[in-house]
Amino acid sequence: MNQSKKLGVQYLTASIVMMGALLLFGLLASIFYLKYGFLLGKLDFNIVKQVHINALIIACLWGFMGAIYWFLPDELGIETVGIGLARLLFWVFVAAVAVVVLVFIFVQYGSSDESGMWLVNQGRKYVEAPRWAAIGIVAVFFTLAYNIFASVAKARKVTGIMGVLMTTMVPLIAVYLIAFPAPTNMSVDLYWWWWLVHMWVEATWELIIGCILALALMKLLGTSRKVVEIWLYLEVALVLGTGILGLGHHYFWIGTPQYWLSIGGIFSALEPLPLLGMVVHAIYDAGKHQMKTHNKPAFLWLIAEAFGNFIGAGIWGFMMTLPQINLYSHGTQWTVSHGHFAFYGAYITGIIAVAYMVAQESRGIREVRGNAWKWAFAGLNIGMVGMVGALLVSGMSEAFIGRALGGSTLDGFMASQSNSWFMQGMIARTGFGVIIVASYFILAWDLATLGRRREKPSPALATS
Amino acid sequence: MNPSWLLPTAALLGIYVLCAGCYGMVYALGRLRESRRLMHAAHAFYAVQGLTTLLLVALTPLAWGWKAFLLASFLVYAVIPPLTWRQLERTHALEHES
Repeated sequence: MNQSKKLGVQYLTASIVMMGALLLFGLLASIFYLKYGFLLGKLDFNIVKQVHINALIIACLWGFMGAIYWFLPDELGIETVGIGLARLLFWVFVAAVAVVVLVFIFVQYGSSDESGMWLVNQGRKYVEAPRWAAIGIVAVFFTLAYNIFASVAKARKVTGIMGVLMTTMVPLIAVYLIAFPAPTNMSVDLYWWWWLVHMWVEATWELIIGCILALALMKLLGTSRKVVEIWLYLEVALVLGTGILGLGHHYFWIGTPQYWLSIGGIFSALEPLPLLGMVVHAIYDAGKHQMKTHNKPAFLWLIAEAFGNFIGAGIWGFMMTLPQINLYSHGTQWTVSHGHFAFYGAYITGIIAVAYMVAQESRGIREVRGNAWKWAFAGLNIGMVGMVGALLVSGMSEAFIGRALGGSTLDGFMASQSNSWFMQGMIARTGFGVIIVASYFILAWDLATLGRRREKPSPALATS
Repeated sequence: MNPSWLLPTAALLGIYVLCAGCYGMVYALGRLRESRRLMHAAHAFYAVQGLTTLLLVALTPLAWGWKAFLLASFLVYAVIPPLTWRQLERTHALEHES
């Protein structure tokens, strides 16, 4: 195995480990809604939530980077250029994330001057990492971009997938730079902060996972390059066409001009259209290959990606994206429900699929067998559907009682938080969260021991 | 938005896209298995989406611009599964030729 692939394995392993932190802190955060005064003054909800959502970002980024470093040598036919620097920065990145998490948990708050921003927390949701760590993240992104561009130049081979991936590196880095300035006007700050969050999650990352899945489909199903590239270009056009201006659907309650709400509503309401095409495509591929593959878990997780993306981003998103609904649902557990489903469907499922492919190839496994992956697949998907369903019930109750009836007043908020629909949703959410965490441990165990544990031979092999 | 219409409107919007998803999924299965029954079921889902559109337009307090948008989207949803399927067959035929 060459150095780039080894680095890919390291990043994917780190991503799966980070998913564990993401889930454990998510489960912990859910308990705050059930037990009044839980960990009060020791580890407050905002800190637990902060670790939870930052772990999500890092798990996704590490998953993407792992997949890119894994597929790059196959795609270009050479070892990745500058891989020594990338391998060094992997350990720096992992160490920096560990330090940041420890600071979040044990230091928690900085002083209200520049030093707090540099050493403890930059203060913006999802990109709270202190400035020294944020500079490190930019350095890692530049190295990744250098690895890709220099390798393409050395190989003298610009495939369609690499063209899209190289183009995506520009917004990936550029929009993250928005994490650095600290405008004192809150409207200006939030206006640009949404550019960072939205352009990453609903545009740039969609293209990165699109490139990764294109490479994965070629390997897993032997789909031709011509086919995957045609569909990748189509996805680029549709995702960017609907995704960029969908930005406006976040611009509630922050002082932006009202026309943004209509622009955001129209373009985000168009987002299910390409996702429907993906569902049809997934069924076509599954049917034409008659589910025959040497890596069934990877294949099923890819199918789960298409469906999860459609349901999480499409159905859940459409329910609340028109401004007349969004006005009430924005910032409630309803949004939380949509966010969980969309992130899981669009990214986590894709990363798990690649992790199975990498485990198979790196350990020379002819066919992925066993039952553990089935339990993990069923548990994670059932747990996720149950959790987002429970959050939806709580969120709808919150929007209806606290916002529509209560007029977004403090009394309305308190009434919505103590309503039985809200509370029952929160209890169910924690229950399903336990299923997700248990299933995650099965998944992690399966990935760690695949090809290293004794399996019963399949009937076909036993008789041959 | 009238408070009592908030949740029914949101639910109808969710059903609207859910029906589109079922239409696409069952349509693809129908083409894959060459089953007329499944194709009829796909069109039934599309019809339910049409009914949902009608309810959204006739009953909910959404602004007229959004109602027109939903109506237009409903018409666009009709062609996505067949178009996608045709394009898939065309690109995969190219794959076999090359």
